[in-house]
Amino acid sequence: MRYFKKLVRPYIAWSAVVIIIPLIMMLLYAFTNSGNSLLNIQFTFENFKRFAEPVYLNVFLKSLKLGLLTVAICLVLGYTLAYIIAQFKESTQNVLILLVTVPMWINMLLRTYAWISILSDNGLLNALLSKLGLEPVSMMYTDFAVMIGQVCDFLPFMIIPIHTSLSKMDKSFIEASYDLGANPVQTFFKVVFKLSIPGVLNGVIMVFLLSISTFVIPKLLGGGQYVLMGNLIESQFVSVGDWNFGSAISIILAVIILFAIRWMKKVDAADN
Amino acid sequence: MKKIISLILCLVLVCAISGCGEERSVLKVYNAGEYIDTSLLSAFEKENGCKVVYETFDSNESMYTKVMSGEQYDIIIPSDYMIERLLKEGYLQEIDKAKLTNYDGINPALLSQPFDEENKYTVPYFWGTVGILYDKTVVAEEDLKDGWELLKNPKYKDDIYMYDSERDSFMIALKALGYSLNTADKAELDAAYAWLVEQRDMVNPIYVGDEVIDSMVSGNKSIAIVYSGDAAYIMSENEDLGYFEPDDGTNAWIDAMVITKDCQDTELAHKFIDFMIAPENAMKNSEAVGYTSSVMSVFDELKETVYSGNSAYNPRQNGENDEFFRYQDTETKKYCAELWTKVKAQ
Repeated sequence: MRYFKKLVRPYIAWSAVVIIIPLIMMLLYAFTNSGNSLLNIQFTFENFKRFAEPVYLNVFLKSLKLGLLTVAICLVLGYTLAYIIAQFKESTQNVLILLVTVPMWINMLLRTYAWISILSDNGLLNALLSKLGLEPVSMMYTDFAVMIGQVCDFLPFMIIPIHTSLSKMDKSFIEASYDLGANPVQTFFKVVFKLSIPGVLNGVIMVFLLSISTFVIPKLLGGGQYVLMGNLIESQFVSVGDWNFGSAISIILAVIILFAIRWMKKVDAADN
Repeated sequence: MKKIISLILCLVLVCAISGCGEERSVLKVYNAGEYIDTSLLSAFEKENGCKVVYETFDSNESMYTKVMSGEQYDIIIPSDYMIERLLKEGYLQEIDKAKLTNYDGINPALLSQPFDEENKYTVPYFWGTVGILYDKTVVAEEDLKDGWELLKNPKYKDDIYMYDSERDSFMIALKALGYSLNTADKAELDAAYAWLVEQRDMVNPIYVGDEVIDSMVSGNKSIAIVYSGDAAYIMSENEDLGYFEPDDGTNAWIDAMVITKDCQDTELAHKFIDFMIAPENAMKNSEAVGYTSSVMSVFDELKETVYSGNSAYNPRQNGENDEFFRYQDTETKKYCAELWTKVKAQ
């Protein structure tokens, strides 16, 4: 093992270059106010203070709400699907999990554009509705459209970890539960669900992370008025050119995610 | 021994990588998305035995961000006000017009503009206006008399696409109120902000980017703010649509080719510019993307043939209230950006 330790060194150098230096740059931008040049540095908290304005707080609350809702829907759908998949014999399970990942082989933008042509006012769904003699419904640029896009994109990240912990589970616990007189509902909540919590937490963290920082899906399916944290950061960098404020928002988002993960890990530890 | 072998292998690898292919000069071109007939690029490569690295941006602002973060290009095709900014910051090289054999064909009305009064740094590429694209079967003719106020007509609630760009949206509000689109007066900007908020609350417009092209072709909504060139293309695909520029005035613009100071092979860069304004190439280009050509003969021909009857291919020239965007100072820019975020997010 002594020899292998040296093998870590290139990795350390690599992560310094691609993780630590960019992070330091971000911190530097967030706490300064000199625009894009870093030549005359002046430290300030101004960028963070600006975030406390009601407009930006609203954006934050909206992102949080959407993130949590996505997590909740993904959890219900993902858990059900993972549970069903786990009931099959192992070779079938592998095929089914493969099928779950198939959409992820296709570029995310393309999948989102596909939703546009399905949901738009003259799209597939509305064509179907009018064939059936029903009134067309405007679905694009609503919470519904954004939610469908997000859930479809992020669902695999929920299914896979849950499925992993369900399939690893020792079946004799379930048998023991039945032997001791528990009914199926009790068995599910007291044994199966409890044992799958690590997978659930991993899935929740992944989906939450992705959905709170996304910007492409809300932009395309929700329209420009659907401003979330990700869009706010994007516009600060790309169109406004205020890298300092953009960095500050990124850091606030990173800190929130960090705390969320810490908190969920604690839940995990307390359960065990 | 092992070390020697691996050294030799490394050397072979390095030679193989650097030696592959003969020396070919490379030209890096940075242009807006969907803004060129890409077959012209390969034609240029063949003609000059060079390689063209072609990249696209989705707005002048994102182009600026990328260039300022150190990315290097030889030729960029930005809009007037962005050229003014790049010029102010000393990023452009002079263009030697003696090397451009087709320069005389450029529409003289596009030359000597405020962003480059002596025509030293720019060669016009496309030009046009910003206007309203509307569905003739839905929007009543007499409602068009309202000009920009059409965008506030409650009759068309939920039926309007705005352009998700603060400068273009503020332009509309400022023109509707009768102000200059280059104003730096905060009271006027606040009034424009109030106009946009009122519009948002009254008709619930959707703020979109380039998706507007596909959406209007398939007729999802009946009113949209678009550039004249996009309008010309959309109208050639969907016959129900019309294009008009309100009398209150609008943004007239010119996009032009510039050579950056990072460009080493200026000879090739000049050849590229000359290639793009050669009448036969300009014809192909303009026909493919729908934007109005800067080459006079091409413009004259296309407006009579392929785009005859297409009002968007022949945008208003020298409109009484029309203006170019000018360079905006950082403070005004920041102020507008913040107001624009408020319009969208609140």
